[in-house]
Amino acid sequence: MNTPSEKLTAVEIIKANSNFLRGTIVESLQDSASSAIAEDDTQLSKFHGIYQQDDRDKREERRRQLLEPDYQFMIRARVPGGVCTPEQWLALDEIARKWANGTIRLTTRQAFQLHGVLKRDLKASIRAINDSLLDTIAACGDVNRNVMCTPLPEASAIHRQVFEIAQTLSEHFTPHTTAYHEIWLLSEHGREKVAGSKDSEPIYGPTYLPRKFKMSFAIPPRNDVDVFAHDLSFIAIAGKDGLEGFNVTVGGGMGVTHGDPATYPRLADMLGFCTPDQVVEISEAIVKIQRDNGDRSERKHARLKYTIDDRGLEWLHDEIERRIGYRLAQDRPFEFTHTGDLYGWQQTADDRWHLCLFLENGRVADKGGSRQMSGLRAIAKVLKGEFRLTPNQNVIISNVNASDRALIDRLVQEHGLDNYRHASPLRLNSMACVGFPTCGLSMAESERYLPDLVDLIEALLVKHDLEEQAITIRMTGCPNGCARPYLAEIGLVGKGPGLYNLHLGAAFNGTRLNQKVRESVHEAEILALLDELLADYSGSREPNEAFGDFMLRSGVLQSGTEEAAV
Amino acid sequence: MNSLNTENSPFTEQQIVQLRQSLGQLDPAQSAWLSGYLAGRLAGGSQAAVLAPLTSAAQLTSEQGVLNVFYASQTGNGEDLAQEFASRAALAGLVVKSQSLTELKPAVLKKLDHAVFIISTHGEGDPPDDALDLFEYLESVRTIKLDSLQFRVLALGDRSYSQFCEAGRKLEELLLARGARTFAERVDCDLDYHAPAGVWSAEVIEYGCKELAREESSAVLVPATSPAPHLSVVPSTAEWNRKRPFPAMVERLQKITGLESKKDVYHLELSLQDSGLRYEPGDSLGVWAFNDPELVVDVLAELAIDPATEVEVAGSVRTIRELLTRHLELTRLSTDTIGTYASQTMGQELKGHLDSLDDEQCRAFIEQRQFIDLVKEYPARLSAQALAELLRPLTPRSYSIASSQASVDEEVHLTVATRYSDAIGQRRRGVASAYLNYRLQPGDEIGVFLEPNRRFRLPQNRSTPLILIAAGTGIAPYRAFLQQLEAEGASPQTWLIFGNPHLRTDFLYQREWLRWRKMGLLARIDGAFSRDHAEKRYVQHVVREQAEEIDEWLNAGAQIYLCGGLAMGREVEQALRQGIALNRGLEDEAAAEVVAGLRRDRRLLKDLY
Repeated sequence: MNTPSEKLTAVEIIKANSNFLRGTIVESLQDSASSAIAEDDTQLSKFHGIYQQDDRDKREERRRQLLEPDYQFMIRARVPGGVCTPEQWLALDEIARKWANGTIRLTTRQAFQLHGVLKRDLKASIRAINDSLLDTIAACGDVNRNVMCTPLPEASAIHRQVFEIAQTLSEHFTPHTTAYHEIWLLSEHGREKVAGSKDSEPIYGPTYLPRKFKMSFAIPPRNDVDVFAHDLSFIAIAGKDGLEGFNVTVGGGMGVTHGDPATYPRLADMLGFCTPDQVVEISEAIVKIQRDNGDRSERKHARLKYTIDDRGLEWLHDEIERRIGYRLAQDRPFEFTHTGDLYGWQQTADDRWHLCLFLENGRVADKGGSRQMSGLRAIAKVLKGEFRLTPNQNVIISNVNASDRALIDRLVQEHGLDNYRHASPLRLNSMACVGFPTCGLSMAESERYLPDLVDLIEALLVKHDLEEQAITIRMTGCPNGCARPYLAEIGLVGKGPGLYNLHLGAAFNGTRLNQKVRESVHEAEILALLDELLADYSGSREPNEAFGDFMLRSGVLQSGTEEAAV
Repeated sequence: MNSLNTENSPFTEQQIVQLRQSLGQLDPAQSAWLSGYLAGRLAGGSQAAVLAPLTSAAQLTSEQGVLNVFYASQTGNGEDLAQEFASRAALAGLVVKSQSLTELKPAVLKKLDHAVFIISTHGEGDPPDDALDLFEYLESVRTIKLDSLQFRVLALGDRSYSQFCEAGRKLEELLLARGARTFAERVDCDLDYHAPAGVWSAEVIEYGCKELAREESSAVLVPATSPAPHLSVVPSTAEWNRKRPFPAMVERLQKITGLESKKDVYHLELSLQDSGLRYEPGDSLGVWAFNDPELVVDVLAELAIDPATEVEVAGSVRTIRELLTRHLELTRLSTDTIGTYASQTMGQELKGHLDSLDDEQCRAFIEQRQFIDLVKEYPARLSAQALAELLRPLTPRSYSIASSQASVDEEVHLTVATRYSDAIGQRRRGVASAYLNYRLQPGDEIGVFLEPNRRFRLPQNRSTPLILIAAGTGIAPYRAFLQQLEAEGASPQTWLIFGNPHLRTDFLYQREWLRWRKMGLLARIDGAFSRDHAEKRYVQHVVREQAEEIDEWLNAGAQIYLCGGLAMGREVEQALRQGIALNRGLEDEAAAEVVAGLRRDRRLLKDLY
């Protein structure tokens, strides 16, 4: 528990006074004078999966118009393991067109995001999402978020087992508060309390966690979930007879604050091995350890990674043992090869087919000649299998019968969803966060700019005869790391309008962080440096040597950055 | 006037000789003019000069020989005219008693011999609030004999409405029906009322001089039950008026509806620097706007009139282009203009069409068109001279002031929505709003003058709770109110109920209201944004839903303000009545009486247009 001398952050006080996440959200929704909710409620709404944002493109104009910022909301729907039914897809698609900005955003953590929802449409949107049997609770906030899982391992039998455990964890850590139901789903005015219930949070307690908490499951050789970037992860270990258990990693996290050396991206530590039936128990112990020991006086220092660095991994082992009575077994060997998606059709042992499509930066939209949103809607209407959202913001049309492949292919082609066939390997390994104009944290363009920058870098690759080389490139508008830029071979982190910090040298398989090589550079400087390095890479690389690895071997970068214990 | 001497006047012997010489040469009209002139000077001079005769006349009690002046208008124009007339009549030696119709106990009418009524018309032929009690009285089943009363009406109106000067006409009819007699014909004035009102005044004074006992003293004014606040006008204000507007510089011109809004509303900041003009929250600003030069060219081209053609109007020669640009009304049609025009069109279609329309349709026909639309639809051959005589004189437009001088000092702020008329698929802008919002640039000057609105002021007692109800640009005076309250450090309970199409783009001055709410000056804001919901929602819906809360505020002494369009005003008043009926368990009639009581007590104040 916190020592009394610690001064709690404002958010901690808001949580403590919120009556299990209620705050004054109901009153805020009824305020007819503003499109915003009360300031304190903006902290609490996150736990309900709702972020207050504003159209930053219009801020200055509206300031002059004496209008408040163009407040609107982002709704994040949880999709454990990324698996969703065609009916759910259609529901999201309809909500997006009816109440949001007409697009769907697939996130880097296998969730759906809707942007541009107005306050007056929040309730209808949340209800419709719940009607589709998805939900938004705990999609954001200081709780366990969407649980990620490698969406399509080639070994489908193991996938099913792992996916089910991921779902179990997701349910296990869903907050118990009835506030969500009461505010969004129950009565017109959200005043009545759920009959006969008394709120309690057996795992979280009334103030929840000090900070967000992220979990993921990876199935080697894929590391598409970026297993080392999460607070708590499980790497599936398969034997002759299927799933044997998991290697458990703890303390990963991307978030950094510019100019604050006390903050840093961190790869998770290897904790040991556990059997499938130990997963829930171990997870609960670790979440509770973080609940009781995480720093509630400084949000920039409140993630599990800092708790571990402050107290040591041995302390964590001891704490776990104290709570569950045993220590984890020795971790088992495994190998990761890549973090990206495998595009195109794949067949699994059960004779089903799966088509992984490339959706640039996860944006599902009909715009500028693209009809991808219509295309996926058309596919959802005929699909007998399901959709799987990938950790790289893409989508897999999954469990298709051989006989239906031609139909799907036709719809894909008709709606311009076949760019996975033509796009460069660089583009197919690119990711960007949402950034401007909706994200309140953004300092530089991200999703709206990366495609253009990739065009320019593609030209450099062609020039250096590297156009077939897969290189991971990720961009974020701020240092908080939504697109996991610190794990990209080329990482770009927004610093100001048109300015980025350039990071290089991460491992292609996500086991080594990159290093910051330039601070606050413009496009021209980024391209000039990459031109030089790619020329060098093209001339001196070894067979199959990745760009990030070459950066170290060639001595451009000093080794010694953190590497995951693989 | 011959009786002027050192005993009954403040003048010296020498001055009296000079005055007698000068005054002796004047005809009645010149005398009347001079009296007005002097009254203006007096209003602009020291208060004592005017108040002194007031006190001296206070002993007069007999109604016989008294000329009673009653006024009722929504904006204060009627009151201004009444005061001006009363001053002139008093200077002509008449015993004058001037008061608002609200102060008249209707039964007193029976005792009166001579009265004039200055009354305006609102909306669709409605009398102003102050006249409602009198109308009810005269329309009642009571036996009322007004046999001794001789009266004359000055009716104020606007020809662009179909029921032109209806309230004045109706009042005359009601009085006649009760046995009263008119001593001269009623005069109906359009927006450009100064000239006809001046003639009316002179005639009444002439009549009075012949028929009524005249006081020996030169200036006698019987005070109304309460001294007219009019007399406390700040001196220098009088220098600038409708005829002589102050050239105010545009300092800021900012659209304040959001990008996607269908409404086009601008915030204007004008400089009053060195004008000496002082206004109160609630007052309006008269603005002289000019017609769009392109529109003028279009109209003349349609009529095949050379813009350079010279025309003589009222003794001065100007080109038709200048007349259309600066002196004649091009954007607001009136029944008169249309009627005259119809007789000059080439075919009979327009006349035939007009004859086929009922009142409602006729109003719609007028509202949807500007003169150019008429000319295009029904071509005519007109000489430049005929055109100049056909069109009404251009009149200034009036805007509720959106600022308080306690906060903005020598500035005046306006909230101007671009007005449109839609005819045959053509969107045309209103003269002033287009001029203000589109043709003016910061740095330009525009002619303005004050139009005090004493009927729409903050209560003297600054702790009186206020319910401020507005739609659209009707919110402007409330901005002035809150600026004033904030500057004074006053903190009454205030409640804003505001309506417009969309919260996101049309909550005018949203940041300011939210700031006032945050600092506690505004206790509550209710937005009724009609297009944000499946079912349209207007301010009257809020008033109905919040009946209980509003009643609680009323019990706490709240004053209700209403500002915006006439239709909104009607709906809100009805909602208020229904709310009170429901909440207090009253019959509709009793609830109506409660509302009427609020109106009489000046706790329900309106600025509707």
